[in-house]
Amino acid sequence: MLLKVTDLEVAYGPAPALWGVTLGVRQGELLSVVGPNSAGKSTLINTLAGLLRARAGTIELEGRDITQLPAHRFCGAGIALVPEGRRLFATMSVLENLELGSLLPHARAQRAAGLEHAMALFPVLAQKLKAPAGSLSGGQQQMVAIARALMARPKLLLLDEPSLGLSPLVVHDLFAAIRRIAADGITMLLVEQNVATALQIAQRVYVLERGSIVAEGDPDAMLSRAEIRRAYLGSEP
Amino acid sequence: MKRSVIVALLAGFALLAGVPWLRLPAFYESILYLVLHWVLLATSWNILSGYSGYFSFGHGAFFGAGIYTTAVLAGKFDWPFLATLPVSAAVATALGVALGAVVFRARSVRGELFALLTLAVTFVLATIVLNTPIDGGPGIYLSAVPVPHLAPTQPGTFYLLALVGATGALLIAYVVQQSRLGVGLFAIHDDEDAAEVMGVPTFRYKLAALAISCALAGLAGGVHALFISYVTTGEVFSINVPLTVILMSVLGGTRHWAGPAVGATVITALLYAFTKGDLALAGKATTGAVLIASILFMPQGILPRLLSRRPALAPGTAPAVVPSADAAAPSPASPSPTAAHGTTLLRASAVGKSFFGVQALAGVDIEIRRGEILGLIGPNGSGKSTFINVVSGHFPATTGQIQFEGREIARLAAHRIAHAGIARTYQIPRPFAHLSVRDNVAAAAMFGGAALSSPKARQEADHWLAFAGLADKADALPVALNLHQRKFLELARALASRPRLVLLDEVLCGLNPSEIDDAVALIRRIRDAGTTVVFVEHVMRAVMALSDRLVVLNHGQLLAVGPAADVMQRPDVVAAYLGTAHAAEGH
Repeated sequence: MLLKVTDLEVAYGPAPALWGVTLGVRQGELLSVVGPNSAGKSTLINTLAGLLRARAGTIELEGRDITQLPAHRFCGAGIALVPEGRRLFATMSVLENLELGSLLPHARAQRAAGLEHAMALFPVLAQKLKAPAGSLSGGQQQMVAIARALMARPKLLLLDEPSLGLSPLVVHDLFAAIRRIAADGITMLLVEQNVATALQIAQRVYVLERGSIVAEGDPDAMLSRAEIRRAYLGSEP
Repeated sequence: MKRSVIVALLAGFALLAGVPWLRLPAFYESILYLVLHWVLLATSWNILSGYSGYFSFGHGAFFGAGIYTTAVLAGKFDWPFLATLPVSAAVATALGVALGAVVFRARSVRGELFALLTLAVTFVLATIVLNTPIDGGPGIYLSAVPVPHLAPTQPGTFYLLALVGATGALLIAYVVQQSRLGVGLFAIHDDEDAAEVMGVPTFRYKLAALAISCALAGLAGGVHALFISYVTTGEVFSINVPLTVILMSVLGGTRHWAGPAVGATVITALLYAFTKGDLALAGKATTGAVLIASILFMPQGILPRLLSRRPALAPGTAPAVVPSADAAAPSPASPSPTAAHGTTLLRASAVGKSFFGVQALAGVDIEIRRGEILGLIGPNGSGKSTFINVVSGHFPATTGQIQFEGREIARLAAHRIAHAGIARTYQIPRPFAHLSVRDNVAAAAMFGGAALSSPKARQEADHWLAFAGLADKADALPVALNLHQRKFLELARALASRPRLVLLDEVLCGLNPSEIDDAVALIRRIRDAGTTVVFVEHVMRAVMALSDRLVVLNHGQLLAVGPAADVMQRPDVVAAYLGTAHAAEGH
């Protein structure tokens, strides 16, 4: 088990947004968390990235309790986030964005290798290195966001809605890239509204509803359950 | 507008007007004068800068213009003092309006640039005054100017004048805050572009607020000129005036009409409570400590903090309407009875838009028919959002014409396009962060094509919040909403103006498939109630379910138009947009 979350509770003000969440991420797997809007998926991913503080419960990475670490130390511990809406440094160049991803000593030492790896993963970025990140198309920006997170050499990569606002062709390429990252052995936790595609590429799925985990299993088992299909895949078009 | 507030202000005025006849020592009358003087100045600053967020560092210029007008007229031309005061207000207003007429037109001069520019105006004005016969260097003495006998003593007279000014300023600040102007200024504070697109005439509103602000500052200057009786450019145009009023307003609370008055009273009282010899230093130190503490613990200001301790008036009494099933979709403001479905509602001809030489739209012809749902798709960066931005007037088209109901709108200001009956949502939601969810929607009902009065606008807002499934969030601030809810807030805001054409920029992205099915039903109901819908979307499930016709853009050009099923089969559309894999997968 790479990441172990036990009885996690997170709240904005008095009302908890997550409670009693217990889950594990295995080394090398691609795990997906699905659920309706307002279920707490982004809260979960932001808590795992250290941006939100748990009110109760523990987060352990490779057996080490990191629950109380400040946000910037989560990155050092080996967790990198690709945030919803990409959040690039828009006026800085693509290269500067990528370099910022590798600020920490162990990542800095491998910066050249990391850049090479990023260019292999997203060849289109090679011609865009000097362009301001904000000038790129939505799909290219999402590639930079993923590449920036990979530059930190994370043990666990958190992806929050990577397909948001992207055209079908770009989404297809993006998921192909996510598959390649998985093939490289990087452990990933993916939150995605594009449930059909998320279930296609994930090895295991958690269903989050109203702040709690209500189901867990492999994608085929999930798809065979009628209530899951109805809730997340809608009527067939 | 509450009559009780106005009555209370007038009663307070009547009570305080008797103070000069109490025969207090002159020292106290002078301190009371200074308190009221700063109340007047800080309140005047707040009407523009606090409400609209245009922080001005130029208040010294307007204040100084008032001082020097009175000083010159009374000191050099022997005008009666009271006769100079309207002129002082008028000169300061003229200066402000001239400045605003230039500066407020430029989209780039906001935030810190506006602050620096107004500061620069102060120094320019000081230089002009210093090096012309207005002052000429030695300053102007007013000791020979007779002080009118409004009260038993001279300080009493100044006190009364400042009391009139301060009461008047507070009344004006209150009335402005409660009026359309106030709502518009608060909207400008949070997101000026979104406000303009929603129908707020931003240029006119900013200018009006600046004019009121300057008139009051000029008046304060006129009175103060005689109070200090010797004016020099060094003292008048110093940075102290703007810094002090900003400090007072921020301390008291810039979002409340009475906030600056509270701040001004606290700071002036603190400064003068320790005037004796060695205590002056202690006074300044105490003031500094109070400031630091209150900014740390009351960042919204003293007054809003005190008011927020009272229980909220209606704490979420609305029932939670989750899937918005029971709210009917109202029809647009004026449904144009003669217009048949299928006739042209909007025609864009050869519309082009370039940014610094990059063509985002390269001359497209798009027809929108009355009563249809038109889908707008294309790769990222193909010009879809640009088309919506141009039609809604967010920025003007570089070339081409746009006719809406036969009327040319391509060169109109965004708020006029909103009044004509076009509303839009933003791809990245742009709510007014400091207004409640209900007030966000009410602002659209007030300023958009529906042009409702304030109470009616709030009813309208509640209706649309129920329609969008946000009824239980009406009293929350937008920050409490998640992305999906913010998108539906955008939708409610667009619909509340009762548009005849609504442009939806990716309101469905971030929804899972079953949520999309609900939203599709919602959008159909908008159309069935008579509003024509154009939507930009990547979610193919929604595109196929909703579109009567599809427009495909690629590289800023029209790639295909037609019924959705036909367009999706075209090989060029598949290659540019869907990708072959997707065509095989289906969704």
